[in-house]
Amino acid sequence: MSPTNEPPRRGSSAPTPPPPARKTTVRNSRSSNRPKAFFWLLGLIALIGVAALGYVATKPKSSSVQSAETADTTNAGPSQGYLIGKVDAPVKIVEFADFECPSCGGWATVTEPDVRTRIINAGLANLTFYDFPLTQHRNTVAASNAAACADEQQKFWPMHDRLFQAQDEWNGEATDAPKAFFKRYASEAGLDVAKWESCFDARKYQKRISANLGEGLRRGVNSTPTFIIGNKLYPGMRSYDELKGIVDSLTKAGGSAAASSTPRAAPR
Amino acid sequence: MTKRMIVAALALAGIFISLYLTLYKLGIIGELSCSIGSCETVNTSKWSRFLGLPVAAWGLLFYLDVFAIALIGTLPRFEDERVLSIVLVAESAVGVLFSAWLTYLELAVIHAICIWCVTSAVIVTLILVVSVVDLRDFRIGESELRT
Repeated sequence: MSPTNEPPRRGSSAPTPPPPARKTTVRNSRSSNRPKAFFWLLGLIALIGVAALGYVATKPKSSSVQSAETADTTNAGPSQGYLIGKVDAPVKIVEFADFECPSCGGWATVTEPDVRTRIINAGLANLTFYDFPLTQHRNTVAASNAAACADEQQKFWPMHDRLFQAQDEWNGEATDAPKAFFKRYASEAGLDVAKWESCFDARKYQKRISANLGEGLRRGVNSTPTFIIGNKLYPGMRSYDELKGIVDSLTKAGGSAAASSTPRAAPR
Repeated sequence: MTKRMIVAALALAGIFISLYLTLYKLGIIGELSCSIGSCETVNTSKWSRFLGLPVAAWGLLFYLDVFAIALIGTLPRFEDERVLSIVLVAESAVGVLFSAWLTYLELAVIHAICIWCVTSAVIVTLILVVSVVDLRDFRIGESELRT
């Protein structure tokens, strides 16, 4: 009971409510002091926020992938991408991608056909694909192996295209056993399936795949797809227009000698 | 819990979300990721900057400002300051319009939805709604005074 609620000293004995203070008349929904609950709420939000940011910030950027997949990069030999286009094209586009990554799939199926026809086949640039398998994708390393074994028979790009087109049926959410799908693609691409299968089962090119991932990490790639054109890193899906603009500006500037990659000289 | 306290709490949540997006944009945090439907496509698009600053940084400044005003507005000394409520309504209205523009860009132009950007848009809308109710309390209070 507040002192104002004490019975009046004179007059009627009925306890009349005290006239509201002017303050409460103005703000009829306010209490004049800040309840503890308010500070608890702010503290709770701050705690959750700091904890979440701390968790994200301390989560190693790449070491988890590195330790899982590139532990043997020291003896993995050189990284080796897959080239499409003219070896001596004036501009060199490097792509780091994950076969199971939906945005890589989106880019490969929607944008890349235009890029191939109008930039690569036109001789304006070439493109070198490097594996950048992410740990959250269960079947992506297997897909990289499938593609590398197709490369052994000069069919990397047909396998690359098929893998990306059919991502939904072999990805880690769809199946535990992607090999059956890859084998079908190998046969559809006209590969020597027996040879492909023994290569795939032996994980013959695992070290190259690890080395390609290591190459990406070394160059500062941390998401897929990431493009490197000239000296610059372009993370994320890039539209045809955007790539064409970059290629054109580099062509004007006299090519991209800086885009040093170590692609194998095997067009298509 | 007064309306301004709710606004302060919402703004604090907004501070952390925009701080995360800003740090992400600056490359200080972030993980290896595949970028579909995620904030990466949005946060690396050309619309992720506004007047030379990352949009997320504008958001951070906005939420810090709203948080400070709302917090000051809960002090017994200032809780009857109508002008603070007017400022909160005006600022959050600008915030809602800006968020609406960004959400339109996400849906119609970038074709990618960043869940944290959407969360921020929801928070700023809630701030506006609560701020408007807060301002209306004054009107009601004043009309009661007159009668």
